[in-house]
Parts: sequence; C-alpha cells; structure tokens
Amino acid sequence: MSELNKRTLLRAGGALLAASAIDMTLVKLAFGQENYEDFTFAYISDSHLQQIKGTKFVRNWDRGLERAVAEANLLNPKPDFVVYGGDLAQLGKREEIDHGLEILSALKHDIKFVMGEHDYYLDLGEYWADKVSKHFYSWDHKGVHFITLKSILVDENWINKWSSPAERMGVMAGLDDPRGSPFMVGAAQRKWLADDLAKVSNDTPIVVFSHSPLQKIFKNWNFWTDDAELIQDMLQPFNKVTVFYGHVHQIQYNQIGNITFHSVMGTSWPWPYPETYAQAKSYLPKLTVPMNRADPFHERDATGWQYIDVHSGKATINFSLPDNKPRMIAYDPELGHPVDTQFSKITTPPQHHY
Amino acid sequence: MKYQTHLSILGLIVLIAGCSPEQDEADNSTPSAVAPPGETTQREMAPVVGNPTLGLPSVPIPANNPMSPEKVVLGEKLFREARFSADGKVSCSKCHNPDTAFTDSPRQTSEGFNGLTGSRNAPTVINAAFNRHQFWDGRRPDLESQSMDPPVNPVEGGLPDHDPILELVRTDPAYAEMFRDVFGTAGEDITMTQVSQAIAAFERTVISGNSAFDRYYFGGEKSAMSDAAIRGFDVYLKQGRCVSCHTIDQESALFTDHKFHNLGIGFKRIDKTLEKTAGALIKAERTGQTVDNAVLSNASISELGRFAIDRQWQDIGQFKTPTLRNVAATGPYMHDGSLATLEDVVTFYNDTVAPGEKGEPNAFQSGGIRPLNLTDRQKSDLVSFLEALTSPPYLEVAARARAEQKKLFVPGSQTKRDSQ
Amino acid sequence: MVHRVRFSVLSLLTIGTAALLGTFVAHMPMAQADEFNEQDLQIWQQNFEEAVAKGRAAFTDPSLGTNGVVCAQCHPNGANTHPETYPKYQKQLGHVAPLWEMINWCIRNPLEGQELAANDPVMLALQAYITQERRGVKLAPGKH
Repeated sequence: MSELNKRTLLRAGGALLAASAIDMTLVKLAFGQENYEDFTFAYISDSHLQQIKGTKFVRNWDRGLERAVAEANLLNPKPDFVVYGGDLAQLGKREEIDHGLEILSALKHDIKFVMGEHDYYLDLGEYWADKVSKHFYSWDHKGVHFITLKSILVDENWINKWSSPAERMGVMAGLDDPRGSPFMVGAAQRKWLADDLAKVSNDTPIVVFSHSPLQKIFKNWNFWTDDAELIQDMLQPFNKVTVFYGHVHQIQYNQIGNITFHSVMGTSWPWPYPETYAQAKSYLPKLTVPMNRADPFHERDATGWQYIDVHSGKATINFSLPDNKPRMIAYDPELGHPVDTQFSKITTPPQHHY
Repeated sequence: MKYQTHLSILGLIVLIAGCSPEQDEADNSTPSAVAPPGETTQREMAPVVGNPTLGLPSVPIPANNPMSPEKVVLGEKLFREARFSADGKVSCSKCHNPDTAFTDSPRQTSEGFNGLTGSRNAPTVINAAFNRHQFWDGRRPDLESQSMDPPVNPVEGGLPDHDPILELVRTDPAYAEMFRDVFGTAGEDITMTQVSQAIAAFERTVISGNSAFDRYYFGGEKSAMSDAAIRGFDVYLKQGRCVSCHTIDQESALFTDHKFHNLGIGFKRIDKTLEKTAGALIKAERTGQTVDNAVLSNASISELGRFAIDRQWQDIGQFKTPTLRNVAATGPYMHDGSLATLEDVVTFYNDTVAPGEKGEPNAFQSGGIRPLNLTDRQKSDLVSFLEALTSPPYLEVAARARAEQKKLFVPGSQTKRDSQ
Repeated sequence: MVHRVRFSVLSLLTIGTAALLGTFVAHMPMAQADEFNEQDLQIWQQNFEEAVAKGRAAFTDPSLGTNGVVCAQCHPNGANTHPETYPKYQKQLGHVAPLWEMINWCIRNPLEGQELAANDPVMLALQAYITQERRGVKLAPGKH
C-alpha cells in the first residue's frame, strides 16, 4: 500500500486507516496544546468553467471540477467543510457561476467561498454576493480563527476605464495581458482586517484564505499582492498563521516570519512556473520544490485539489493529483517552515521547468 | 497450428541470432490487382513474405531467464498442461487458445475449473512479452510471475496451491527429462520458478509483427494497406486521438503507453457504491483472500481496476492500455469483454459511453476521453485500419472472427449477446 | 595630333564612366549580392514585428479553436512552449517533430480546432510570436 496515501477513502470493519501517512512524529511534535482539536477541510479551486454557447461548456474544465468533487466526497474521515478558492467562472458570467454551483452541489459538505478575479470583474461581484457568498468574512472553528479575504481588487481608476464590463473582464481574464492591474487587498478591507484581528489573541491559530498570494512573486502574471507587506505586518504578531491562496494553478509554499504560505492547485489547467518566462524576473519562494513539468498529453496532469489536516493550529496540505503521485507538505516545527519530505527525495530525473 | 508453431520457432531463431529484427529482403508481395475501396481482405490475404517481427522492438529477455530451444519446448508443453488444474481440464491454452489468437474469443469471460467464470476477458499472449505489466490491472510485472497465478485462482485452475504442479513435474518421466536438460535439476530441486521461467520463455516466442500496417509504415510499402485503412490511420492519429494511448513509436509500434486508464467501461456497476466496494475489497483481504482472487470472483471489486492493487484513488477504475496488434482476432473487447465488435469499440470512443448507455461518464474517467464527432465513414475507415494490424499467422482467424462480429453488430445500440 | 585627341576622348570616357559608376554605387546598392542597408533592416524588422503581433493576436484568439480556449490560457507569454528545443521527439506524434507540428497538436486537442498548414500565415505568425517571447535562450534541440 502506498506510503503517501494511507489516508484513503476506506473504512472497513470499523477500523480507521491511519490519518496522516508520513512522519507521524512531525504531527506529534506539533501537538502540544489541548485547546486545538485536529480536523480536516478540503480545498477545491480555480475551475474556470468556460461557457462556449448556451449550455455547452469547455469539457476539460468541467471534468476537472467533477472529478475533484467526486474524490472529495470519498474523503474519510469526512472533512469539516470545503473551501472553494475562487475563479469558479472564467468570464464571470451568471451561466458559468450557476454551472459551477450545480457541479459543487454534489459535494456532501458545507462550502466556504473565496472570490477570484474571474468571478468579480464582470459585474463587480453582484451576482456572487447574491447567489454565492459574502466577499470577505471571518469565522471561528475548533479554536482556529478563519479569515477569507477578497484580495483581487485593483486600483479604482482601472475599473472605470473600460468601454464595457465584458471588455474589463476580458482584459483581466488574460493572465499575461499587459493592460491588467496588480491585485491588492486595499485600504478599506485592511481596516476591516485590523478590526477583526483586534479581537483575536496572539496565540490563536489563524488561517487566511485568499485568492492572490499575499506575497510578491511575479508581477507579469499577477502572482502578486501590492499591499502584501502591510497584510503580512498585520499577521506577524500572531504565533501560528497559515495563508492559503489560489490563482497560480501550481504548488508553491513559503515561510515569512510566523506566516506559512501554501498555494492550492487548480482543477482546470496548469500554469508554468514564472521562471519559464525568459524576459522577466520572478521571485518564486526558495523553499518551493516545484512540480514536474505538465504533460500536455494528459488533460488532468498538473491539475488537482487538496485536503488540509490541521494539527494544533498548523497545517499539512495533501494534494490529490490525477496521473501523478500524491504530494504532502507539512509544517516542521523544528525547522520552522513547511517541508515536502517525500517529493524532494525523488531520484528519477525531474522534468524541470526551464 | 503447425504453421504457428513453425513461425514461433522461426521467431526464436531470429532471437537467438541475438539481434533486433533486421530489415527484410525485397518484399515481393504486391497484390495482383488493385482492390476496390474498402476491400481490405483481398489485399491482406495476398501471399506475404518478409520479416515476421517487422514493426516490433527486440524482445526484452531477463538476464536470469535466457532463451534456449529446449526451454521453449518445455514451456509450450507446460502451457498446454491441463493437469495443472483441480479438474484436469484447465491449461493456460484453454483460455489462451493458440487457435484463436491465444485468447478465448468469442467468450466474454473464460470458463475455468468446474466451468466457473471470472470477471475479466482473457488477454492475448501474442506480444505479451513486450508488456511492462501483466494482467488487466498490472498486478504482476512480468510473464514469469503472471504464469503462477491462474492455476491457483479458484475460478481458473482451482488448485489450492502449487504443490500438485510440482508433484507432476517432479515425477512425470517426460517432464523429469526436460527439466534435467533445461535447468540441470531433478526431483525436489525442480521449483515453480523454473516452471514459470519455461512458460515465460515459450511466451517470448509468441510474438508477431509484419502486419499490413507494419509493411506500410515501417517497411515503406505504400500499397500494403487499403485506401480505407490509410484513411483510417489518419483518423487514428488525429480526430480519433487513438495514438494518445495506443502509441506508435518511430522505429516500432506496440500500440500501448503501458499505462492505466479509466474509460468508464463497466464502471457503472460501482459508480454509486464506491466506498462500499472498496470496503469489500479490504474486508476480503483481511479474511485472507488475495487480490488476485478478489478481483476475479467479484465483478464489482473487479471494476476497481488498478486501485485494487495500489490503493491510489487516482487509479479508481483504471485498466491497462492493451496492444492493438491482432485486435481483429482477439475480441470481445475491454477488460470485461463487454464490447463484442470493433464497431462497438469505435462507437464507444466516439460517444464516450458504451453503445446504448445513457448519461454522463463517471467522474474518474480519463481526461483524454471526449466526444470525437466522427462521421460514419471515418468510423468504418478506422475499423479498416484496426484490421490492418493483424499479423500474417492470424489473418485467417481474424477474418473468421470479424465475419462473426459483423453478424452481431447493430448500429446505435449495444451488440446483443447471449448472456450478460 | 590624332593620338592626342584619342587619348583625351578615352580619358573623358573613362572618367565619365567612372563618375557614372560612382553615382550608381552611391544611390543604388543592388550591385553587391549580400548588401543591405539601414532602410532594408527597418523594413524587415517591421515585417517581423507585424508577424509577431499577428501571432500574439492568434495566440489569444478564441476562434483559432472551436471551444473558446486560447493558447495564452496555458502558455502566458508563450511560456513553457520551448521553441528552442525543437525539433525533438514528441511521444504522441511518434516521431521527431518541428515546432509547428506541436502547435497543430495543441490546436487540434485542447483547442478542438482544425490544424493549419505549415506555411499558413497564421502558423508562421504563431511561430514568430512564440520564438520572440523566448529570445535570448540558447538552442537545445531534442531537449525534454
């Protein structure tokens, strides 16, 4: 039986299979405080459901989300909730959002939604607020304080300079479109965040869900949050902070002071790592062991979803990657940052990004 | 049959010469007249000479099991040995019948000990030597280890363990002499490993290339395939997307990527009960049943595919990409033998669900399967191409099998069959 | 006396021809096989940039395929196309293939469109754009 995937969908004869496969010691070391119960949540993101015409949608993206939902339904033990990480629609259309909600309705768990730029820039989130979720909010669960940010806002002036909502959405939809604008959380939401954090004690674990990375990784493709440093400063005083972000469609992870950063995979299509664009500099976190280069001949390669085990307020992220070995990245309290112990040991020649 | 054995030994001689197939001498098999469009049979039945392994890479031979003519002869005798079963009637060759391209065609699943049936279709032995995995779910890595499983499976050989086999080969005088010659062993020193090695050695001579496609593509003979097959080849490479998994390389073609994929065939048996079925598998294992037993005796557990072997949920419902060589002769098709004709197979891939099935395919279906929008003509051309993958020794049995298939095929619905 | 006149005429002719030739050389550089000037370079550079722009347009054009998917969705700025590694063995094409065959594979498969001829202006433009975005990277044919 595979080491990495002892946590499977099975329960037979009442016996539960081991929850977390590798390095059980890691988990035990982290476990110190009695206040925090271990729990799991699933995370599905970046489906980019794309309408072709009428009820016809791009099959590849549909199938990616359907698969993630089917697998998530098999998780055992059951997750406490599912996070949807943003970019449910490709062009923010109602049809696309509705189609996404329909596919997600097969999930057997509650969903907490994060907003992505593809969901927002057509109607500035009107339909989303109506049918899907609040744009940003916080809540508490089993001793952990959860915050969902809307981190894909841009400068006000940019929003108004387009001839139509569709044009605005079209420009924002192009990852490499030079007419785009850098993401930010923005002053208003930072104020809300400050007020929210004021009610939380420093030793309460905090988990932040964001679409943009809350770091500055690669401006060309908006792997970027303009006020990243300000947000990070606000989070540093807390002892255990983990940020999950979507948007990048690839595995990234980082540690800045007290904050652990994890990107989540998209179900739709992969993006290359920024270093593959030869004409611009990029700043991928050094900690990250990149994925193998995507194989275009496998439609699901370099896509996937993940479930996150929370132990004592720190997180272990388990990736389910079709056509690939699963990956797991766990926080190592001795090293003080996340580590991928299995993948970084792989001896077959990696298919590098270049 | 004699012809096939002859060819097998010819193949063996080629192998013992110790090199990869060389280019044949001038192939003078041009048909006497231009066949009308679609009329492939005429052309393919024309006398064929040339290199029987054209289009194949060299056979991988493990260092610990070198070939020899005596070992091959012993292996073939073991392959045909019906006494390796609980009722004395089931040999390897019963379900991998040399007369029907080493399969049990047209049986969907085979009948083993006491006429018991399993859940999966008997794959051909022809060119199995090139597979990187054996069995539909790849649970054995090589021919040697594969050969030891069926005799002890309750629905195949039905033996409780390998002891009856060892008893026989150690005491039967004919076997004793052969084992002494081949392995230098006798009595208690004869092992199941040796038995499996001899069988594997024989199977490594059951290889065949030199189909019409091989002569066309690797031999440069533009007239080797009919026009329909040539058009079908274009469909195969492009709109049909077949080449994505049934790959063709630059110097040879095995028509398999050696990977496992969920096509959705038969999956609806467990679509709604995945947790329960996987649980049943675990339970079976904990009561001592091997995976080999579980998957063949339980049609639902069988549908778990490769997941039953490696427990990765990415592998739910996945089965091995088989070779397409001689596919015209090795029906019915898919891991459960549920598609009776080549036309059914093409219809399935075109529609992404089996003929007559309704609704969406399962969520675990391979990302590569999608509606192909083939025209009727493209579909029949594609079938013509698949027929062109038949090697000369199997042309006759393929023609007979296809004639039977065409009687069954009903366009637009699942081909009717007796049971199932 | 006659030869002196002939000499003068000869010199005049020579000088005149030389002068004429000089004029040709100064204003019409077609005389030498491999010569080109600033103006040529400008025109050719412009042609190339137009091709690159056309290629970028095709790269983001939903009508290249039939399902609205565009190349830039998986290849922002042409990243991960590796034009410098072609020709190379592409397993799903079954042979050593040039860049344009791979582009056609993408048009046929993720974009569900019709393939383009090798010398189709759109194909040429796509190659110009893809290569331009990868400028400066060393050739590495066959690399995987």
